[in-house]
Amino acid sequence: MNQKHANFPNIMWVIGALIILFGITAFFVIKWANVSRENIPIYGTLPEFQFTERSGEPFGLNEMRGKINVVDFFFSNCHGPCPIMNGNIRQLYDLYESSDRIQFVSISVDPARDTLMRLQEYAQELGITDFRWLFLWAPIDSVADLMENGFMLAAEDLPGGHTVQFVLVDNRGRIRGYYSGIDDAEVELLQEHIRIIGRELP
Amino acid sequence: MNGFIRLTFISTIWTYLLIFLGGLVRVSGAGLGCPDWPKCFGHWIPPTNVGQLPPEMDPSQFNFALAWIEYINRLAGMTLGLLIAATAIYALIKYRKVPGIVIPAVLAALLTAYQGWQGGQVVASELKPLLVSAHLVIALIIISLMVYTAINAFRHENRGFNPASEASKLKPWVFGLWLVAMTQVAFGAGIRGGLETLGHQFPLAKPFELLSKVGMITHIHYFIGAVLLVIAIFLGPRILKADSTKSPLVRQSAKGIIHLAITQIIIGIALVIAGIPQLLQLFHLWFASLFIGITIMLYSSLKFQKEAAS
Repeated sequence: MNQKHANFPNIMWVIGALIILFGITAFFVIKWANVSRENIPIYGTLPEFQFTERSGEPFGLNEMRGKINVVDFFFSNCHGPCPIMNGNIRQLYDLYESSDRIQFVSISVDPARDTLMRLQEYAQELGITDFRWLFLWAPIDSVADLMENGFMLAAEDLPGGHTVQFVLVDNRGRIRGYYSGIDDAEVELLQEHIRIIGRELP
Repeated sequence: MNGFIRLTFISTIWTYLLIFLGGLVRVSGAGLGCPDWPKCFGHWIPPTNVGQLPPEMDPSQFNFALAWIEYINRLAGMTLGLLIAATAIYALIKYRKVPGIVIPAVLAALLTAYQGWQGGQVVASELKPLLVSAHLVIALIIISLMVYTAINAFRHENRGFNPASEASKLKPWVFGLWLVAMTQVAFGAGIRGGLETLGHQFPLAKPFELLSKVGMITHIHYFIGAVLLVIAIFLGPRILKADSTKSPLVRQSAKGIIHLAITQIIIGIALVIAGIPQLLQLFHLWFASLFIGITIMLYSSLKFQKEAAS
């Protein structure tokens, strides 16, 4: 009677062996996928600098540390790419509304016209009332110097010829990526990279 | 084992492999590893570097690891399609007059073909949570049909041997267990989808913060989990005791259900405590599919005995 039963293989052994084999494989595959995705390069570290925020408060590398920073360059009188760039920052600004781990830093490349007063107005026009989005002022020479030697971006034909790149700076002041601020796909990639870097935050 | 049983057995194992691979795609975030379907970045074999991408494809989407993880799932899926098609054809030839074999075998083949197409829809929808969950539920129905076919074929080949057993009375309970387990998987997939959606809304939130935002559905999942555990712990030993024939099939599956129910509760709790790590998530899903298959195995083996009793 029991001989008939014995025809059926002992499935539990098969399953047990598979679990161990699959588990080990899966462990490495997941690791592989995570590493492949989180491989965000470090382009360099920003030097110390000291600019002024629209509020009049000093703002420098120290204020960037501890947070994820999305940096861009603009001037208030710009009607070319700036509105598109602002629109994209705005989208991220709204997305991270509930988070104090990220801030947006816009640096004026036209300090002669963009006085602190003008920057305050500009922020108001954009509807920005809190300090998750910051607007920085510094003499043009300092701005150009930081652009070229810190952010490694061209600083020619300012203000009109300013870059449209968004620069991702991590919580330790390191540059982690450049993304065209007028290209939706690149802004989406920026968002993905923010999420990954966010996981590294304490 | 005759050729047909061997084939259904291999197809069933392969289906489990595929469910595992599908879960792996899900937890490793490789679902959009190939943004097009059925090809991958315009090729039948995924490109190895960005330079091979067709010009209209966005290079920032390309990730070698993710493309291959997704593509291996597709290859294994195609293989399963062939295996199950062979099983169905075999059944149509050999067991044309045995509805208990031919119907589930053909249904499984049709459903597998649909599943392949539906997988393309999942990719096209950019992983809409509801479609991802449906993809999983269909896979579990396929696995149930395969196990049912295999046991029925085994039973058919041994039809001269018909033990009577009290345990067969408990059969409706086992089917009920299967239904509850399927519901439970759907809720589990719902939580996973909820986490996904919330992850986009609150990108910098920690996993446990997200979990608390998912809401009611998590509590339902915990509750049904407890119910499943209670049923398994009460039903399993009763079946073992009532099965006077000492059928190894019944014994293995009844024990399997108890062990898996306990394991799943432990993994479930660990998931919450550890912040939903990927590997645990994968096993939680895969053990759920084993539980479903073994429940059907138990159900069909008990059916075997019921016929004997009458």
